[in-house]
Amino acid sequence: MSLIQLDRIYKLYNEGQDNEVRALNGVTLSIDRGEFVAIIGSSGSGKSTLMNILGCLDLPSRGVYRLNGKLASQMRDDELSHIRNVEIGFIFQGYNLIPALDALENVELPLIYQGVGGERRLQIAREALERVGLGDRLHNYPSQMSGGQQQRVAIARAISTGAPILMADEPTGALDSKTGAQVLEILHQLHRERGTTILLITHDNKVAAAAERIIRIADGQIVVDCPREEIAL
Amino acid sequence: MNLKQSFRMAFKSIRANRVRSLLTMLGIIIGVAAVIIMVSVVQGSNRQLKAYYERLGNNRITVSAEQWDGADISQALYDYCIGLGPLIYGVTPDGTAEGPLRYLDRSTEDMESGSPTIKLGSAQFSLCNNFQIERGRDLCQMDIQSSQQVIVLGARTAQHLFNYQNPVGKTVLLQSHPFTVVGVYRAKDPDSEYSMDNMAVVPYTLNRLLNHRNTLDSFTIRAASSETTAEVSSRVSGFLKGQIDNERGYFNVYSENQDIRASDARNRMMSMVLGGIASISLLVGGIGIMNIMLVTVTERTREIGIRKAIGARRKSILAQFLIEASVVCGIGGLLGIAVGVAGTVLAGRLILRAIILPNLLMSAGAFLFSVAMGVGFGLYPAAKASKLQPVEALRAD
Repeated sequence: MSLIQLDRIYKLYNEGQDNEVRALNGVTLSIDRGEFVAIIGSSGSGKSTLMNILGCLDLPSRGVYRLNGKLASQMRDDELSHIRNVEIGFIFQGYNLIPALDALENVELPLIYQGVGGERRLQIAREALERVGLGDRLHNYPSQMSGGQQQRVAIARAISTGAPILMADEPTGALDSKTGAQVLEILHQLHRERGTTILLITHDNKVAAAAERIIRIADGQIVVDCPREEIAL
Repeated sequence: MNLKQSFRMAFKSIRANRVRSLLTMLGIIIGVAAVIIMVSVVQGSNRQLKAYYERLGNNRITVSAEQWDGADISQALYDYCIGLGPLIYGVTPDGTAEGPLRYLDRSTEDMESGSPTIKLGSAQFSLCNNFQIERGRDLCQMDIQSSQQVIVLGARTAQHLFNYQNPVGKTVLLQSHPFTVVGVYRAKDPDSEYSMDNMAVVPYTLNRLLNHRNTLDSFTIRAASSETTAEVSSRVSGFLKGQIDNERGYFNVYSENQDIRASDARNRMMSMVLGGIASISLLVGGIGIMNIMLVTVTERTREIGIRKAIGARRKSILAQFLIEASVVCGIGGLLGIAVGVAGTVLAGRLILRAIILPNLLMSAGAFLFSVAMGVGFGLYPAAKASKLQPVEALRAD
């Protein structure tokens, strides 16, 4: 059974009105454990909406979403929180760190919500930060770090729980090409060493070229879905 | 997430947002302190006024009557009052005599608060004016009847003339007449500068000797109770109406109970006005809190979005915000009470020259109100934001 199964997913805004927007227009998709998938498309194509639904950050208007066999499209709020906490790690374009907390505290946050206690939590968080090369910045606040460093804190936060799925929405979007490449390299390592399933959302073909499978979205529908080798980027 | 972590999270957030926390506290501190100080000062001054009237003696009726032709009606009035029997505690003439008191080389002329009032009284003078004998004896009927040159001193006057010696048996001079001190009254008003204790009383029958007059035109009657006060007033008025022709004299019967009632009403009014002002400042403080809380909603909505995205349940979010708001407002409230108590004591010293303490119920009420305000407005936006899908909360800018 696939890790992620979407069956005719719709996301509609202003449904039934003149200005109805179909952000997702019947997406059917399945992704297996351990895949490295890039979802590409121009802005407004619906790829971010797709990522939000895949990441349980938003609910579809219609359609069925099974995550790891569980029916995510009909879960209650707290169940979704639990899924996001345990199954998924997020990396956002805007980092989304909490400015009032330092690097270590930001990374600890999902572990706190998991109920991981004191010493162990500290150790895991520290290891995650060391892994992304920020072992010497544990107590820096987001405002004291560069964009690349902040994004690496966000990656440390995403991997600290050992979630089997990593979702990255334009992770290099706000970074220069060198730090962007570093971030991508970390994703690759995670994929190789841990077998983490990675979903990479990007409008940048060069970034997408790192993936094993390419899914192209246009106007809320999948227009291309093929292995990396079969498409020219 | 357990409670301990919720608390740690809340404290971290308070520390990280010092300015916001401080402003919230400030609103609460000002509101709570204002209410406590204003209400306490009003209540303190009420109490002080009540105590003043109590020292003066309650249920007193002041009667003054005079006839232009100089005819004396005082004896008739006095006899009439005695005839009222159980309706009154006592009656005394209310005249005064001039002149300082001297003892050896000491004189009351150099008293800072002025010379004592020399009263002409009956044997019931102390009963009517709420004095009690501390040393020696009071004036007695014999002194009155035989016009004895005896004097009873108030505590302040006795202290000035005799320091800590026992005045009883000593002789003082009044208008160069010798008077034997037979007693000293207990101090009843030791704190105020122009004290009721700065006085002395001599038999009223010495009126001719001291004032060169035969007539006495005012009396103080002390009625047996507040109920009989009105009856005694009207009976005395009736009696005087029969005695004095409007064109050849006048009379006036006045009950201090009216005064007390009027001042009670005044005080109630003042309580309401100042209480109202205090409530407004509490409300303004509350609105301040509300403003700060609502202004930070956007920032906090985003934070809630992030927390939810990485796995916070609604319960955890609400617990964190509830604790955060309670702690900030609780600390603010306690500081407000501290400032209020200090301000009350200070205001008491400066305005009323007395130690007043805040009303417990009022302080608790103000505390609860502002904490409820802070927690309510701190929690409401959080509760709303925690219901959003994380993607919507993250979109907040």
